[in-house]
Amino acid sequence: MRTILKAENLEKVYRVGRVDVPALRGVSLDVQEGEFLAIMGPSGCGKSTMLHLLGGLLTPTTGRIMIDGEDLTAATDARRTDIRRRKIGFVFQRFNLFPTLTAEGNLRLAERIHGGNGADDPERRREVLRLLRLEDKMHHKPLELSGGEQQRVALARAVVTRPALILADEPTGNLDSENSAIVLNMFQELNLRFNQTVIMITHNPEAAAMCRRIIQMRDGQIVQPLGNVQM
Amino acid sequence: MDNLVTANIRQRPIRSVVSIAGVALGVALVMVFTGLARGMSNDLQRRSSNVRAEILFTRPGSADNLTSSTANLSTKYVEELQKIEGVESAIPVIRYIYQGGRGFGFEQVEGVDWAPFASMNQMRMTEGRPPEAMDEVIIDETKAQNGSLKVGSILSIFGGKQYRVTGIYAPESGARVKMSLAAMQYALEAPGKCTWILIKCKDGADQVAVAKHINETLPGNKIQFTRDVFTSIEKQIPFLGLFLRVLVGLAAVVSALVIMLAMYTTITERTREIGILKAMGASRAYIIGVIEKEAIVISVLGLVVGFTVALVGGALIHRIYGLMFEYGWGWAIAAAAIGLFGGVLGALYPAIRAANLDAVSALSYE
Repeated sequence: MRTILKAENLEKVYRVGRVDVPALRGVSLDVQEGEFLAIMGPSGCGKSTMLHLLGGLLTPTTGRIMIDGEDLTAATDARRTDIRRRKIGFVFQRFNLFPTLTAEGNLRLAERIHGGNGADDPERRREVLRLLRLEDKMHHKPLELSGGEQQRVALARAVVTRPALILADEPTGNLDSENSAIVLNMFQELNLRFNQTVIMITHNPEAAAMCRRIIQMRDGQIVQPLGNVQM
Repeated sequence: MDNLVTANIRQRPIRSVVSIAGVALGVALVMVFTGLARGMSNDLQRRSSNVRAEILFTRPGSADNLTSSTANLSTKYVEELQKIEGVESAIPVIRYIYQGGRGFGFEQVEGVDWAPFASMNQMRMTEGRPPEAMDEVIIDETKAQNGSLKVGSILSIFGGKQYRVTGIYAPESGARVKMSLAAMQYALEAPGKCTWILIKCKDGADQVAVAKHINETLPGNKIQFTRDVFTSIEKQIPFLGLFLRVLVGLAAVVSALVIMLAMYTTITERTREIGILKAMGASRAYIIGVIEKEAIVISVLGLVVGFTVALVGGALIHRIYGLMFEYGWGWAIAAAAIGLFGGVLGALYPAIRAANLDAVSALSYE
Protein backbone atom coordinates (compact mmCIF):
# COMPACT_ATOMS: atom_id res chain seq x y z
CA MET A 1 0.00 0.00 0.00
CA ARG A 2 1.18 3.50 -0.84
CA THR A 3 1.59 6.23 1.76
CA ILE A 4 -0.69 9.05 0.64
CA LEU A 5 0.04 11.38 3.54
CA LYS A 6 3.03 11.61 5.86
CA ALA A 7 3.19 14.19 8.64
CA GLU A 8 6.37 14.41 10.70
CA ASN A 9 6.67 16.13 14.06
CA LEU A 10 4.13 18.86 13.30
CA GLU A 11 4.03 21.82 15.61
CA LYS A 12 1.81 24.83 15.31
CA VAL A 13 2.02 27.85 17.59
CA TYR A 14 -0.49 30.71 17.32
CA ARG A 15 0.55 34.15 18.45
CA VAL A 16 -2.33 35.72 20.41
CA GLY A 17 -1.34 39.23 21.39
CA ARG A 18 2.02 38.73 23.08
CA VAL A 19 1.32 35.17 24.08
CA ASP A 20 2.35 32.06 22.14
CA VAL A 21 -0.40 29.46 22.19
CA PRO A 22 0.70 25.98 21.08
CA ALA A 23 -2.02 24.16 19.15
CA LEU A 24 -0.03 21.14 17.97
CA ARG A 25 2.93 19.71 19.82
CA GLY A 26 4.88 17.30 17.66
CA VAL A 27 2.27 15.28 15.80
CA SER A 28 3.40 12.57 13.39
CA LEU A 29 1.04 10.58 11.23
CA ASP A 30 1.13 8.22 8.25
CA VAL A 31 -1.98 7.61 6.19
CA GLN A 32 -2.06 4.87 3.56
CA GLU A 33 -3.96 5.07 0.29
CA GLY A 34 -7.54 3.89 0.79
CA GLU A 35 -7.61 4.47 4.55
CA PHE A 36 -10.69 5.86 6.27
CA LEU A 37 -9.29 7.57 9.35
CA ALA A 38 -11.10 9.36 12.18
CA ILE A 39 -9.46 11.97 14.37
CA MET A 40 -11.28 12.40 17.67
CA GLY A 41 -10.72 14.53 20.69
CA PRO A 42 -12.24 17.28 22.82
CA SER A 43 -12.73 20.84 21.61
CA GLY A 44 -9.49 22.78 21.47
CA CYS A 45 -7.29 19.70 21.26
CA GLY A 46 -5.90 20.75 17.85
CA LYS A 47 -8.02 18.60 15.51
CA SER A 48 -9.08 21.43 13.20
CA THR A 49 -5.59 22.93 13.19
CA MET A 50 -4.31 19.49 12.21
CA LEU A 51 -6.83 19.25 9.35
CA HIS A 52 -6.03 22.76 8.12
CA LEU A 53 -2.30 21.94 8.16
CA LEU A 54 -2.85 18.69 6.26
CA GLY A 55 -4.94 20.60 3.70
CA GLY A 56 -2.35 23.32 3.24
CA LEU A 57 -4.66 26.04 4.55
CA LEU A 58 -2.16 26.70 7.36
CA THR A 59 1.59 26.24 7.54
CA PRO A 60 3.16 24.45 10.51
CA THR A 61 5.58 26.24 12.81
CA THR A 62 7.87 23.23 12.47
CA GLY A 63 7.54 19.81 10.89
CA ARG A 64 6.93 18.41 7.42
CA ILE A 65 3.89 17.23 5.47
CA MET A 66 4.11 15.10 2.32
CA ILE A 67 0.95 14.64 0.28
CA ASP A 68 1.08 11.99 -2.44
CA GLY A 69 4.83 12.54 -2.77
CA GLU A 70 4.77 16.36 -2.73
CA ASP A 71 6.19 18.38 0.13
CA LEU A 72 3.47 20.74 1.29
CA THR A 73 5.57 22.51 3.89
CA ALA A 74 8.40 23.46 1.54
CA ALA A 75 5.99 24.84 -1.04
CA THR A 76 5.18 28.50 -1.64
CA ASP A 77 1.65 29.72 -1.02
CA ALA A 78 0.83 29.42 -4.73
CA ARG A 79 2.30 25.93 -4.89
CA ARG A 80 0.34 24.85 -1.79
CA THR A 81 -2.82 26.13 -3.45
CA ASP A 82 -1.94 24.12 -6.54
CA ILE A 83 -1.36 20.93 -4.50
CA ARG A 84 -4.66 21.49 -2.70
CA ARG A 85 -6.42 21.98 -6.04
CA ARG A 86 -5.02 18.76 -7.49
CA LYS A 87 -4.88 16.43 -4.49
CA ILE A 88 -7.33 17.44 -1.77
CA GLY A 89 -11.08 17.68 -1.37
CA PHE A 90 -12.63 19.39 1.65
CA VAL A 91 -15.95 18.63 3.33
CA PHE A 92 -17.00 21.04 6.09
CA GLN A 93 -19.40 20.84 9.00
CA ARG A 94 -21.39 23.79 7.62
CA PHE A 95 -21.52 22.34 4.07
CA ASN A 96 -20.08 25.56 2.60
CA LEU A 97 -21.86 25.29 -0.72
CA PHE A 98 -22.23 28.31 -2.95
CA PRO A 99 -25.82 29.40 -2.33
CA THR A 100 -26.11 31.08 -5.73
CA LEU A 101 -25.28 27.91 -7.64
CA THR A 102 -27.28 24.72 -8.12
CA ALA A 103 -25.96 21.38 -6.91
CA GLU A 104 -24.57 20.72 -10.37
CA GLY A 105 -23.20 24.29 -10.54
CA ASN A 106 -21.25 23.70 -7.35
CA LEU A 107 -19.73 20.59 -8.91
CA ARG A 108 -19.00 22.39 -12.16
CA LEU A 109 -17.23 25.15 -10.24
CA ALA A 110 -15.00 22.53 -8.58
CA GLU A 111 -14.23 21.09 -12.03
CA ARG A 112 -13.31 24.52 -13.37
CA ILE A 113 -11.05 25.34 -10.45
CA HIS A 114 -9.45 21.93 -10.84
CA GLY A 115 -9.08 21.81 -14.60
CA GLY A 116 -9.51 25.35 -15.92
CA ASN A 117 -12.48 26.99 -17.62
CA GLY A 118 -12.56 24.35 -20.33
CA ALA A 119 -13.00 21.53 -17.80
CA ASP A 120 -16.48 20.15 -18.16
CA ASP A 121 -17.35 16.50 -17.56
CA PRO A 122 -21.13 16.21 -17.28
CA GLU A 123 -20.92 12.40 -17.29
CA ARG A 124 -18.63 12.42 -14.25
CA ARG A 125 -20.93 14.88 -12.47
CA ARG A 126 -23.96 12.71 -13.15
CA GLU A 127 -22.04 9.62 -12.00
CA VAL A 128 -21.09 11.24 -8.70
CA LEU A 129 -24.54 12.69 -8.12
CA ARG A 130 -26.07 9.26 -8.93
CA LEU A 131 -23.70 7.59 -6.49
CA LEU A 132 -24.77 10.02 -3.79
CA ARG A 133 -28.42 9.62 -4.80
CA LEU A 134 -28.80 13.23 -5.83
CA GLU A 135 -29.67 12.90 -9.54
CA ASP A 136 -33.08 14.46 -9.03
CA LYS A 137 -31.59 17.34 -7.03
CA MET A 138 -28.91 18.47 -9.45
CA HIS A 139 -30.79 21.60 -10.49
CA HIS A 140 -31.70 22.58 -6.92
CA LYS A 141 -29.92 25.35 -5.05
CA PRO A 142 -28.59 24.61 -1.55
CA LEU A 143 -31.45 26.38 0.23
CA GLU A 144 -33.87 24.08 -1.57
CA LEU A 145 -32.13 21.00 -0.12
CA SER A 146 -32.23 19.37 3.31
CA GLY A 147 -29.11 19.43 5.51
CA GLY A 148 -28.30 15.85 4.60
CA GLU A 149 -28.70 16.56 0.91
CA GLN A 150 -26.53 19.64 1.17
CA GLN A 151 -23.78 17.65 2.84
CA ARG A 152 -24.04 14.99 0.14
CA VAL A 153 -23.65 17.72 -2.50
CA ALA A 154 -20.62 18.99 -0.58
CA LEU A 155 -19.22 15.46 -0.61
CA ALA A 156 -19.97 15.15 -4.32
CA ARG A 157 -18.15 18.43 -4.94
CA ALA A 158 -15.14 17.15 -3.00
CA VAL A 159 -14.88 13.87 -4.95
CA VAL A 160 -15.87 15.02 -8.44
CA THR A 161 -12.27 15.99 -9.24
CA ARG A 162 -10.90 12.60 -8.01
CA PRO A 163 -8.67 13.97 -5.21
CA ALA A 164 -6.06 11.76 -3.59
CA LEU A 165 -7.35 12.73 -0.16
CA ILE A 166 -10.62 13.93 1.33
CA LEU A 167 -10.43 15.98 4.52
CA ALA A 168 -13.74 16.15 6.35
CA ASP A 169 -14.21 18.51 9.29
CA GLU A 170 -17.12 17.30 11.45
CA PRO A 171 -19.21 16.38 8.38
CA THR A 172 -22.14 15.19 10.49
CA GLY A 173 -21.91 17.94 13.11
CA ASN A 174 -24.91 19.83 11.71
CA LEU A 175 -27.04 16.79 10.81
CA ASP A 176 -29.65 14.77 12.64
CA SER A 177 -28.93 11.10 13.29
CA GLU A 178 -30.77 9.87 10.20
CA ASN A 179 -28.94 12.21 7.82
CA SER A 180 -25.68 11.57 9.68
CA ALA A 181 -26.04 7.86 8.99
CA ILE A 182 -26.76 8.51 5.31
CA VAL A 183 -23.73 10.78 4.92
CA LEU A 184 -21.42 8.41 6.79
CA ASN A 185 -22.62 5.54 4.64
CA MET A 186 -21.72 7.61 1.60
CA PHE A 187 -18.22 8.20 2.94
CA GLN A 188 -17.88 4.50 3.62
CA GLU A 189 -19.17 3.57 0.17
CA LEU A 190 -16.72 5.93 -1.51
CA ASN A 191 -13.94 4.48 0.59
CA LEU A 192 -14.82 0.86 -0.06
CA ARG A 193 -15.87 1.06 -3.70
CA PHE A 194 -13.33 3.56 -4.98
CA ASN A 195 -10.55 3.17 -2.43
CA GLN A 196 -10.95 6.86 -1.62
CA THR A 197 -8.67 8.01 1.22
CA VAL A 198 -10.61 9.96 3.85
CA ILE A 199 -9.50 11.71 7.04
CA MET A 200 -12.47 12.76 9.15
CA ILE A 201 -12.59 14.86 12.29
CA THR A 202 -15.51 13.94 14.51
CA HIS A 203 -16.82 14.18 18.04
CA ASN A 204 -19.25 11.40 17.35
CA PRO A 205 -18.07 7.94 18.46
CA GLU A 206 -20.65 6.28 16.19
CA ALA A 207 -19.23 8.14 13.23
CA ALA A 208 -15.71 7.26 14.23
CA ALA A 209 -16.72 3.63 14.58
CA MET A 210 -17.37 3.51 10.83
CA CYS A 211 -13.71 4.32 10.15
CA ARG A 212 -10.92 1.76 9.77
CA ARG A 213 -8.62 3.66 12.12
CA ILE A 214 -9.24 6.14 14.91
CA ILE A 215 -6.75 8.62 16.34
CA GLN A 216 -7.40 10.30 19.67
CA MET A 217 -5.95 13.76 20.27
CA ARG A 218 -5.54 15.77 23.44
CA ASP A 219 -3.67 19.03 24.10
CA GLY A 220 -2.16 19.13 20.65
CA GLN A 221 -0.82 15.58 20.68
CA ILE A 222 -1.90 12.17 19.50
CA VAL A 223 -2.53 10.31 22.74
CA GLN A 224 -4.20 7.15 21.63
CA PRO A 225 -3.61 5.67 18.20
CA LEU A 226 -6.27 3.01 18.33
CA GLY A 227 -4.92 1.09 15.37
CA ASN A 228 -7.00 -0.55 12.70
CA VAL A 229 -10.63 -1.23 13.37
CA GLN A 230 -11.92 -4.49 12.01
CA MET A 231 -14.61 -3.76 9.47
CA MET B 1 -18.80 33.04 -18.73
CA ASP B 2 -18.17 31.67 -15.27
CA ASN B 3 -21.61 30.89 -13.87
CA LEU B 4 -20.47 32.02 -10.42
CA VAL B 5 -20.17 35.53 -11.88
CA THR B 6 -23.64 35.69 -13.42
CA ALA B 7 -25.17 33.88 -10.44
CA ASN B 8 -23.72 36.48 -8.07
CA ILE B 9 -25.03 39.33 -10.19
CA ARG B 10 -28.50 37.79 -10.28
CA GLN B 11 -28.44 36.85 -6.61
CA ARG B 12 -27.90 40.43 -5.40
CA PRO B 13 -30.13 42.44 -7.74
CA ILE B 14 -30.20 45.70 -5.75
CA ARG B 15 -26.42 45.85 -5.43
CA SER B 16 -26.08 44.97 -9.11
CA VAL B 17 -28.61 47.61 -10.17
CA VAL B 18 -26.90 50.28 -8.04
CA SER B 19 -23.52 49.37 -9.51
CA ILE B 20 -24.89 49.38 -13.06
CA ALA B 21 -26.57 52.74 -12.37
CA GLY B 22 -23.27 54.13 -11.08
CA VAL B 23 -21.44 53.22 -14.27
CA ALA B 24 -24.41 54.33 -16.39
CA LEU B 25 -24.45 57.69 -14.62
CA GLY B 26 -20.82 58.36 -15.52
CA VAL B 27 -21.31 57.29 -19.12
CA ALA B 28 -24.57 59.23 -19.51
CA LEU B 29 -23.00 62.36 -17.98
CA VAL B 30 -20.14 62.27 -20.45
CA MET B 31 -22.39 61.57 -23.42
CA VAL B 32 -25.10 64.12 -22.58
CA PHE B 33 -22.77 66.99 -21.73
CA THR B 34 -20.37 66.44 -24.60
CA GLY B 35 -23.28 65.75 -26.96
CA LEU B 36 -24.98 68.97 -25.87
CA ALA B 37 -21.80 71.04 -26.08
CA ARG B 38 -20.97 69.60 -29.49
CA GLY B 39 -24.55 69.85 -30.74
CA MET B 40 -25.00 73.45 -29.66
CA SER B 41 -21.55 74.42 -30.88
CA ASN B 42 -21.95 72.76 -34.26
CA ASP B 43 -25.45 74.15 -34.63
CA LEU B 44 -24.20 77.68 -33.98
CA GLN B 45 -21.22 77.14 -36.24
CA ARG B 46 -23.35 75.71 -39.04
CA ARG B 47 -25.69 78.66 -38.92
CA SER B 48 -22.84 81.13 -38.65
CA SER B 49 -21.00 79.58 -41.56
CA ASN B 50 -23.92 80.37 -43.86
CA VAL B 51 -23.18 84.04 -43.40
CA ARG B 52 -21.44 85.04 -46.64
CA ALA B 53 -20.02 88.35 -45.42
CA GLU B 54 -16.28 88.34 -44.87
CA ILE B 55 -15.98 91.12 -42.28
CA LEU B 56 -17.82 91.85 -39.04
CA PHE B 57 -17.81 95.50 -37.94
CA THR B 58 -18.71 96.29 -34.31
CA ARG B 59 -18.02 98.62 -31.45
CA PRO B 60 -15.15 97.58 -29.17
CA GLY B 61 -16.18 95.24 -26.38
CA SER B 62 -19.18 93.80 -28.15
CA ALA B 63 -19.92 91.05 -30.64
CA ASP B 64 -18.34 88.04 -29.17
CA ASN B 65 -20.25 85.85 -31.50
CA LEU B 66 -22.18 83.94 -28.87
CA THR B 67 -22.79 86.46 -26.18
CA SER B 68 -23.33 89.83 -27.77
CA SER B 69 -26.82 91.15 -27.26
CA THR B 70 -26.33 94.89 -27.27
CA ALA B 71 -27.44 97.35 -29.87
CA ASN B 72 -24.74 99.97 -29.41
CA LEU B 73 -23.53 100.53 -32.95
CA SER B 74 -24.94 103.37 -35.03
CA THR B 75 -26.41 102.33 -38.39
CA LYS B 76 -24.88 105.54 -39.79
CA TYR B 77 -21.67 103.58 -40.23
CA VAL B 78 -23.37 101.62 -43.03
CA GLU B 79 -23.22 104.53 -45.47
CA GLU B 80 -19.61 105.25 -44.65
CA LEU B 81 -18.61 101.62 -44.96
CA GLN B 82 -20.22 101.30 -48.37
CA LYS B 83 -18.01 104.12 -49.61
CA ILE B 84 -14.80 102.30 -48.73
CA GLU B 85 -12.88 100.74 -51.60
CA GLY B 86 -13.46 97.00 -51.96
CA VAL B 87 -16.74 96.94 -49.99
CA GLU B 88 -19.64 95.56 -51.99
CA SER B 89 -22.33 95.82 -49.35
CA ALA B 90 -22.78 96.51 -45.64
CA ILE B 91 -25.82 95.18 -43.79
CA PRO B 92 -26.74 96.19 -40.23
CA VAL B 93 -27.95 93.44 -37.89
CA ILE B 94 -29.41 93.61 -34.37
CA ARG B 95 -29.20 90.47 -32.34
CA TYR B 96 -31.02 89.88 -29.09
CA ILE B 97 -30.58 86.84 -26.89
CA TYR B 98 -33.37 85.77 -24.57
CA GLN B 99 -34.27 82.87 -22.35
CA GLY B 100 -35.82 79.96 -24.23
CA GLY B 101 -39.58 79.80 -24.32
CA ARG B 102 -39.55 76.55 -22.34
CA GLY B 103 -37.41 78.03 -19.58
CA PHE B 104 -34.22 76.19 -20.50
CA GLY B 105 -31.33 77.37 -22.66
CA PHE B 106 -31.44 80.51 -24.75
CA GLU B 107 -32.68 81.64 -28.10
CA GLN B 108 -31.72 84.41 -30.47
CA VAL B 109 -33.70 86.79 -32.60
CA GLU B 110 -32.22 89.06 -35.27
CA GLY B 111 -33.46 92.24 -36.84
CA VAL B 112 -32.46 92.64 -40.49
CA ASP B 113 -33.67 94.26 -43.65
CA TRP B 114 -34.58 91.04 -45.36
CA ALA B 115 -34.00 91.83 -49.05
CA PRO B 116 -30.34 92.95 -48.85
CA PHE B 117 -29.58 90.44 -46.06
CA ALA B 118 -31.02 87.55 -48.11
CA SER B 119 -29.22 88.73 -51.20
CA MET B 120 -25.87 88.91 -49.40
CA ASN B 121 -26.24 85.47 -47.79
CA GLN B 122 -27.99 83.71 -50.66
CA MET B 123 -31.13 83.01 -48.67
CA ARG B 124 -34.69 82.63 -49.87
CA MET B 125 -38.22 82.33 -48.58
CA THR B 126 -39.48 78.78 -48.92
CA GLU B 127 -42.94 79.69 -47.70
CA GLY B 128 -44.87 82.90 -47.02
CA ARG B 129 -43.31 86.34 -47.25
CA PRO B 130 -40.68 88.47 -45.44
CA PRO B 131 -41.68 90.42 -42.30
CA GLU B 132 -43.05 93.90 -42.86
CA ALA B 133 -45.15 95.04 -39.92
CA MET B 134 -43.74 95.61 -36.44
CA ASP B 135 -45.31 92.41 -35.12
CA GLU B 136 -44.16 90.03 -37.85
CA VAL B 137 -41.31 87.53 -37.89
CA ILE B 138 -39.93 84.83 -40.14
CA ILE B 139 -38.36 81.58 -38.98
CA ASP B 140 -36.04 78.96 -40.47
CA GLU B 141 -37.10 75.44 -41.34
CA THR B 142 -35.55 73.86 -38.22
CA LYS B 143 -37.43 76.25 -35.94
CA ALA B 144 -40.63 75.51 -37.83
CA GLN B 145 -40.09 71.78 -37.52
CA ASN B 146 -38.97 71.70 -33.85
CA GLY B 147 -41.64 74.13 -32.70
CA SER B 148 -44.39 72.76 -34.96
CA LEU B 149 -44.75 76.28 -36.31
CA LYS B 150 -46.14 77.38 -39.66
CA VAL B 151 -47.09 80.58 -41.43
CA GLY B 152 -49.70 82.29 -39.30
CA SER B 153 -48.45 80.83 -36.01
CA ILE B 154 -47.87 83.16 -33.05
CA LEU B 155 -44.48 83.47 -31.27
CA SER B 156 -43.92 85.19 -27.93
CA ILE B 157 -40.72 87.26 -27.74
CA PHE B 158 -39.53 90.12 -25.53
CA GLY B 159 -41.41 89.15 -22.41
CA GLY B 160 -44.62 87.88 -23.92
CA LYS B 161 -45.07 90.23 -26.82
CA GLN B 162 -46.75 88.31 -29.62
CA TYR B 163 -45.41 88.11 -33.17
CA ARG B 164 -47.03 86.43 -36.14
CA VAL B 165 -44.97 84.16 -38.39
CA THR B 166 -45.26 85.42 -41.96
CA GLY B 167 -42.78 83.12 -43.65
CA ILE B 168 -40.19 80.36 -43.48
CA TYR B 169 -36.72 80.79 -44.94
CA ALA B 170 -33.71 78.67 -45.90
CA PRO B 171 -30.89 77.96 -45.44
CA GLU B 172 -30.49 78.46 -41.70
CA SER B 173 -28.22 81.40 -40.93
CA GLY B 174 -27.64 83.22 -37.66
CA ALA B 175 -30.70 83.46 -35.42
CA ARG B 176 -33.60 81.17 -36.25
CA VAL B 177 -36.10 84.00 -35.79
CA LYS B 178 -35.78 87.22 -37.74
CA MET B 179 -37.82 90.38 -37.90
CA SER B 180 -37.29 93.66 -39.69
CA LEU B 181 -34.51 95.93 -38.44
CA ALA B 182 -37.06 98.65 -37.70
CA ALA B 183 -39.26 96.30 -35.68
CA MET B 184 -36.30 95.17 -33.62
CA GLN B 185 -35.09 98.74 -33.04
CA TYR B 186 -38.60 99.64 -31.94
CA ALA B 187 -38.87 96.64 -29.61
CA LEU B 188 -35.50 97.37 -27.97
CA GLU B 189 -36.06 101.13 -28.01
CA ALA B 190 -32.83 101.51 -29.94
CA PRO B 191 -33.65 103.62 -32.97
CA GLY B 192 -30.76 104.01 -35.42
CA LYS B 193 -28.74 101.30 -33.68
CA CYS B 194 -27.56 97.80 -34.50
CA THR B 195 -25.34 95.12 -32.95
CA TRP B 196 -22.96 94.68 -35.85
CA ILE B 197 -22.61 95.37 -39.53
CA LEU B 198 -21.87 92.56 -41.96
CA ILE B 199 -19.52 93.58 -44.77
CA LYS B 200 -19.29 91.73 -48.06
CA CYS B 201 -16.18 92.44 -50.10
CA LYS B 202 -16.21 92.84 -53.85
CA ASP B 203 -15.12 89.83 -55.90
CA GLY B 204 -11.34 89.69 -56.06
CA ALA B 205 -10.87 92.26 -53.30
CA ASP B 206 -8.19 91.56 -50.74
CA GLN B 207 -10.09 91.12 -47.45
CA VAL B 208 -7.08 92.12 -45.35
CA ALA B 209 -6.59 95.28 -47.35
CA VAL B 210 -10.29 96.10 -47.11
CA ALA B 211 -10.20 95.57 -43.34
CA LYS B 212 -7.17 97.82 -43.14
CA HIS B 213 -8.97 100.52 -45.13
CA ILE B 214 -11.97 100.28 -42.83
CA ASN B 215 -9.78 100.59 -39.77
CA GLU B 216 -8.03 103.62 -41.23
CA THR B 217 -11.27 105.24 -42.27
CA LEU B 218 -13.27 104.45 -39.12
CA PRO B 219 -10.70 104.04 -36.36
CA GLY B 220 -11.59 102.91 -32.86
CA ASN B 221 -14.01 100.17 -33.91
CA LYS B 222 -13.64 96.40 -33.85
CA ILE B 223 -13.04 94.69 -37.16
CA GLN B 224 -13.06 90.88 -37.31
CA PHE B 225 -12.98 88.37 -40.13
CA THR B 226 -16.00 86.12 -40.06
CA ARG B 227 -13.74 83.16 -40.91
CA ASP B 228 -12.01 83.69 -37.54
CA VAL B 229 -15.16 84.33 -35.56
CA PHE B 230 -17.17 81.44 -36.96
CA THR B 231 -14.48 78.80 -37.46
CA SER B 232 -14.72 77.35 -34.00
CA ILE B 233 -17.51 78.48 -31.79
CA GLU B 234 -16.40 75.84 -29.29
CA LYS B 235 -13.06 77.61 -28.87
CA GLN B 236 -14.81 80.89 -28.14
CA ILE B 237 -16.68 79.57 -25.12
CA PRO B 238 -14.26 80.13 -22.25
CA PHE B 239 -12.96 76.90 -20.69
CA LEU B 240 -15.50 74.68 -22.47
CA GLY B 241 -12.80 72.15 -23.35
CA LEU B 242 -11.48 72.19 -19.79
CA PHE B 243 -15.01 71.83 -18.44
CA LEU B 244 -15.61 68.78 -20.64
CA ARG B 245 -12.31 67.18 -19.61
CA VAL B 246 -13.06 67.79 -15.92
CA LEU B 247 -16.50 66.28 -16.48
CA VAL B 248 -15.00 63.20 -18.09
CA GLY B 249 -12.54 62.86 -15.20
CA LEU B 250 -15.36 63.14 -12.67
CA ALA B 251 -17.37 60.54 -14.54
CA ALA B 252 -14.40 58.17 -14.42
CA VAL B 253 -13.99 58.75 -10.69
CA VAL B 254 -17.73 58.23 -10.06
CA SER B 255 -17.74 54.96 -12.04
CA ALA B 256 -14.62 53.65 -10.35
CA LEU B 257 -15.82 54.60 -6.86
CA VAL B 258 -19.25 53.07 -7.30
CA ILE B 259 -17.77 49.81 -8.57
CA MET B 260 -15.13 49.82 -5.86
CA LEU B 261 -17.68 50.35 -3.09
CA ALA B 262 -20.02 47.74 -4.55
CA MET B 263 -17.22 45.20 -4.92
CA TYR B 264 -15.77 46.02 -1.53
CA THR B 265 -19.19 45.40 0.01
CA THR B 266 -19.62 42.19 -1.89
CA ILE B 267 -16.20 40.93 -0.82
CA THR B 268 -17.18 41.49 2.80
CA GLU B 269 -20.49 39.73 2.19
CA ARG B 270 -18.77 36.85 0.47
CA THR B 271 -15.75 36.45 2.72
CA ARG B 272 -16.81 32.92 3.60
CA GLU B 273 -17.32 32.03 -0.08
CA ILE B 274 -13.85 33.27 -0.85
CA GLY B 275 -12.58 31.02 1.92
CA ILE B 276 -14.38 28.10 0.28
CA LEU B 277 -12.84 28.96 -3.08
CA LYS B 278 -9.41 28.96 -1.46
CA ALA B 279 -10.10 25.62 0.23
CA MET B 280 -11.10 24.25 -3.17
CA GLY B 281 -7.72 25.25 -4.53
CA ALA B 282 -8.67 28.45 -6.36
CA SER B 283 -5.55 30.49 -7.07
CA ARG B 284 -5.22 34.20 -6.35
CA ALA B 285 -5.52 34.87 -10.08
CA TYR B 286 -8.72 32.83 -10.24
CA ILE B 287 -10.30 34.78 -7.36
CA ILE B 288 -9.23 38.13 -8.83
CA GLY B 289 -10.56 36.92 -12.18
CA VAL B 290 -13.99 36.05 -10.78
CA ILE B 291 -14.36 39.48 -9.15
CA GLU B 292 -13.00 41.33 -12.17
CA LYS B 293 -15.33 39.41 -14.49
CA GLU B 294 -18.24 40.45 -12.32
CA ALA B 295 -17.07 44.08 -12.51
CA ILE B 296 -16.71 43.82 -16.29
CA VAL B 297 -20.21 42.39 -16.71
CA ILE B 298 -21.61 45.17 -14.49
CA SER B 299 -19.61 47.79 -16.40
CA VAL B 300 -20.78 46.52 -19.79
CA LEU B 301 -24.40 46.56 -18.59
CA GLY B 302 -23.73 50.06 -17.22
CA LEU B 303 -22.39 51.13 -20.62
CA VAL B 304 -25.51 49.83 -22.38
CA VAL B 305 -27.80 51.58 -19.89
CA GLY B 306 -25.67 54.76 -19.94
CA PHE B 307 -25.66 55.04 -23.74
CA THR B 308 -29.39 54.30 -23.87
CA VAL B 309 -30.14 56.95 -21.23
CA ALA B 310 -27.94 59.46 -23.08
CA LEU B 311 -29.60 58.79 -26.44
CA VAL B 312 -33.16 58.75 -25.10
CA GLY B 313 -32.49 61.68 -22.74
CA GLY B 314 -30.89 63.71 -25.54
CA ALA B 315 -33.84 63.02 -27.83
CA LEU B 316 -36.32 64.02 -25.10
CA ILE B 317 -34.43 67.22 -24.22
CA HIS B 318 -34.23 68.10 -27.91
CA ARG B 319 -37.93 67.46 -28.31
CA ILE B 320 -38.97 69.39 -25.22
CA TYR B 321 -36.43 72.21 -25.15
CA GLY B 322 -35.16 72.27 -28.72
CA LEU B 323 -31.51 71.94 -27.62
CA MET B 324 -29.26 70.28 -30.18
CA PHE B 325 -27.34 67.07 -29.43
CA GLU B 326 -24.58 65.60 -31.54
CA TYR B 327 -22.78 62.51 -30.29
CA GLY B 328 -19.27 61.91 -31.55
CA TRP B 329 -17.50 58.56 -31.78
CA GLY B 330 -14.49 60.01 -29.96
CA TRP B 331 -16.46 60.91 -26.85
CA ALA B 332 -18.47 57.69 -27.09
CA ILE B 333 -15.25 55.67 -27.06
CA ALA B 334 -13.95 57.81 -24.18
CA ALA B 335 -17.19 57.22 -22.23
CA ALA B 336 -17.01 53.46 -22.91
CA ALA B 337 -13.37 53.36 -21.81
CA ILE B 338 -14.22 55.32 -18.66
CA GLY B 339 -17.08 52.99 -17.76
CA LEU B 340 -15.09 49.84 -18.48
CA PHE B 341 -11.71 50.80 -17.05
CA GLY B 342 -13.35 52.62 -14.14
CA GLY B 343 -15.14 49.39 -13.29
CA VAL B 344 -12.07 47.20 -13.76
CA LEU B 345 -9.82 49.51 -11.74
CA GLY B 346 -12.46 50.05 -9.07
CA ALA B 347 -12.80 46.28 -8.59
CA LEU B 348 -9.06 45.67 -8.53
CA TYR B 349 -8.42 46.65 -4.91
CA PRO B 350 -11.33 44.61 -3.49
CA ALA B 351 -10.28 41.71 -5.75
CA ILE B 352 -6.68 41.78 -4.53
CA ARG B 353 -7.91 42.08 -0.96
CA ALA B 354 -10.13 39.03 -1.47
CA ALA B 355 -7.29 37.05 -3.01
CA ASN B 356 -5.10 37.87 -0.01
CA LEU B 357 -7.68 36.80 2.59
CA ASP B 358 -6.53 34.13 5.00
CA ALA B 359 -8.43 30.98 4.05
CA VAL B 360 -9.01 29.71 7.59
CA SER B 361 -10.22 33.10 8.87
CA ALA B 362 -12.44 33.48 5.81
CA LEU B 363 -13.97 30.04 6.35
CA SER B 364 -14.86 30.89 9.95
CA TYR B 365 -16.28 34.32 8.98
CA GLU B 366 -19.87 34.75 10.19
